[in-house]
Amino acid sequence: MDVNAQQMADRARQFQDRVVPQIDEARQNLVDMNNRVVSFIRANPGTCLLGAVAVGFLIGRIASRR
Amino acid sequence: MANYPGASGDGNSPGRERGSDAGFGQRVDQLGSEAQQLFSDARGAVEDLGQTLDLRGRVERNPYGMMVAALGVGYVLGGGLFTPLTARILRLGVRLAALPFVKDELLGMAETAFQGYQAGRSGFAPSPPPAREGSASADANVAGTPRPPSY
Repeated sequence: MDVNAQQMADRARQFQDRVVPQIDEARQNLVDMNNRVVSFIRANPGTCLLGAVAVGFLIGRIASRR
Repeated sequence: MANYPGASGDGNSPGRERGSDAGFGQRVDQLGSEAQQLFSDARGAVEDLGQTLDLRGRVERNPYGMMVAALGVGYVLGGGLFTPLTARILRLGVRLAALPFVKDELLGMAETAFQGYQAGRSGFAPSPPPAREGSASADANVAGTPRPPSY
């Protein structure tokens, strides 16, 4: 029983060592993507607003047809 | 052919012809200046509207919110306002908005239930009940076996 607990702890530690860097990397990627999107929207406000209006128009048209 | 006032002379008086030409030119100049004034007024109105809405500043301050607002404007323009999808979105929004108010109640209920569970467990803790002499059921109770039916 004691050996099993030790094995479980080792496995949990290995899992943590394997997963935590991936989570950190994914978080960093999300932060980078968010910064890029925000800077693109700030650089092209008219284009983004018009695109959003067009996308909303299409969604509304599709929703009204159903 | 357009008949402009002052543009047709009788051909007899050159001075009067010259005056009518001057009137026509003056009229054209006035039209041109009025058109220019109208154009500048329209441009000023558009600039005023832009400054009032301050779209660029709003996008600068809250980019995602403005995108969502533009999406909503397009959705309404596309005729999606009175649709089942709108009803579903509104229902979801109401539930999400009510969640913070219900959260405390749910936490209180969960805490009460947990306390009741703990109290129940501590009530059934192995505190030995007083054994009755010569009673089989009491012996069985102490032993942890089911109590036999008493007739």
